[in-house]
Amino acid sequence: MGGKVTCTLGEVKNRADFIVYWGGNPAECHPRHFTKYTLMQKSKFLPRGRKDRTVVLVDIRETKSAKAADHFLQVRPGKDFELLTILRALIKDQKVSEEQVAETGLSLEVLKDLIEKMKAAKFGVMFFGMGLSMTRGKHMNAAALLTLAAEMNAFTKFVAMPMRGHGNVTGADVIMRWQTGYPFGISLNRGYPRYNPGEFSTVDVLVRGDTDCAFIIGADPGATMPKPAIDHLAKVPTIVLDPHVTHTSRLSRVHITTAPAGIAAPGTGYRMDEVPMPLKPALQSPYPSDEEVVRRIRETIALRPDWMTNQPQMIEAQI
Amino acid sequence: MELKVIENATCTFCGCVCDDIELHADDVRIHQAKKACVLGKSWFLNHTAEKKYPDALIDGQPASLDEAIEVAANHLYEADMPLVYGMSNTTCEAQKECVAMADLLGALLDSHTSL
Ligand code: SF4
Repeated sequence: MGGKVTCTLGEVKNRADFIVYWGGNPAECHPRHFTKYTLMQKSKFLPRGRKDRTVVLVDIRETKSAKAADHFLQVRPGKDFELLTILRALIKDQKVSEEQVAETGLSLEVLKDLIEKMKAAKFGVMFFGMGLSMTRGKHMNAAALLTLAAEMNAFTKFVAMPMRGHGNVTGADVIMRWQTGYPFGISLNRGYPRYNPGEFSTVDVLVRGDTDCAFIIGADPGATMPKPAIDHLAKVPTIVLDPHVTHTSRLSRVHITTAPAGIAAPGTGYRMDEVPMPLKPALQSPYPSDEEVVRRIRETIALRPDWMTNQPQMIEAQI
Repeated sequence: MELKVIENATCTFCGCVCDDIELHADDVRIHQAKKACVLGKSWFLNHTAEKKYPDALIDGQPASLDEAIEVAANHLYEADMPLVYGMSNTTCEAQKECVAMADLLGALLDSHTSL
């Protein structure tokens, strides 16, 4: 997500006096987010800590995180995009009808009050979770929220940040962006990177049966993906690198046990705000690290003739 | 067995990546993960340095690492449209190797983010 208006969690901790969580449940999914980065910390600019901050939760149901918030806005499921668009209109004093607001499950009064508070803030931040970016509208919802954050800067400082989930998924985004220019959903089959989620994203590729060999590392799609995707993984030669024998390993042709990253393998991991952190493994594993195994596979492949110079037909066929 | 204390260790279970964890570990397992939350604690305590699984499995049968690397490389090289996927629970160094390998193969490359 290049071009987003964002900051680091250190800035949030020290400066954010208005915090919105949208479509996420940090109390249960990111348990130390409140205490370590957002709500509870005291700082030079917010000496009274929690008392100096206003916290709003927007979600489709009242989760445990609602208890920690000052205001809870219950949006009707699937209406996040509408709500964000209405907020974007309201901050610019454009006219919005009661009916349009009612569709989102909220009232104009509540939204006007919210906007007043947003504009009165010195430093606002909006965290958004999968409840926003994985439901109806998907990345368009995330884009609407990022635009709202950017537009709020006409009035006061405002930033947005995705609440990234498991492990080092932020690192994967960063590394792919650095190496290919795109964060995910990439095809290198023409010898240069192309980006097209929906076409090159894994679920779609697997459901369509568009791959004839899958290399899976640090993930267990055999436990999480829809059944047609898993069926295809079982059909083609699948190679799995994982510290455990996973669901995916059981349907794979090759499983290689590796040392768990951060526990027995050293390296770097990215925090959700894209700050890299060194890992400090406590144990010595009897297994090699992911890094070592992938490098050895790559070196073995590199010994063979290059496929691109071998079969340039795709390029010629295009001309 | 000697008990080590590792200060300011990093938890990568969730996106918070807390880097203030105090780990108490012997050679085999981590006994305590101070300051970590419930999720982080169970993550640290559930991994051990025991040899619970074979080095590798080929078609479900235990195999050596060298064999597995050879077979994996073969499958990937022979494929017309290989896919490199995942990269969540691993290090940036390994992710970089994955991108290099996908580049070499002319593969599809994707992470959890696309789900
Ligand atoms: S200690 Fe808890 S909050 Fe911190 S990174 Fe680990 S799982 Fe996340």
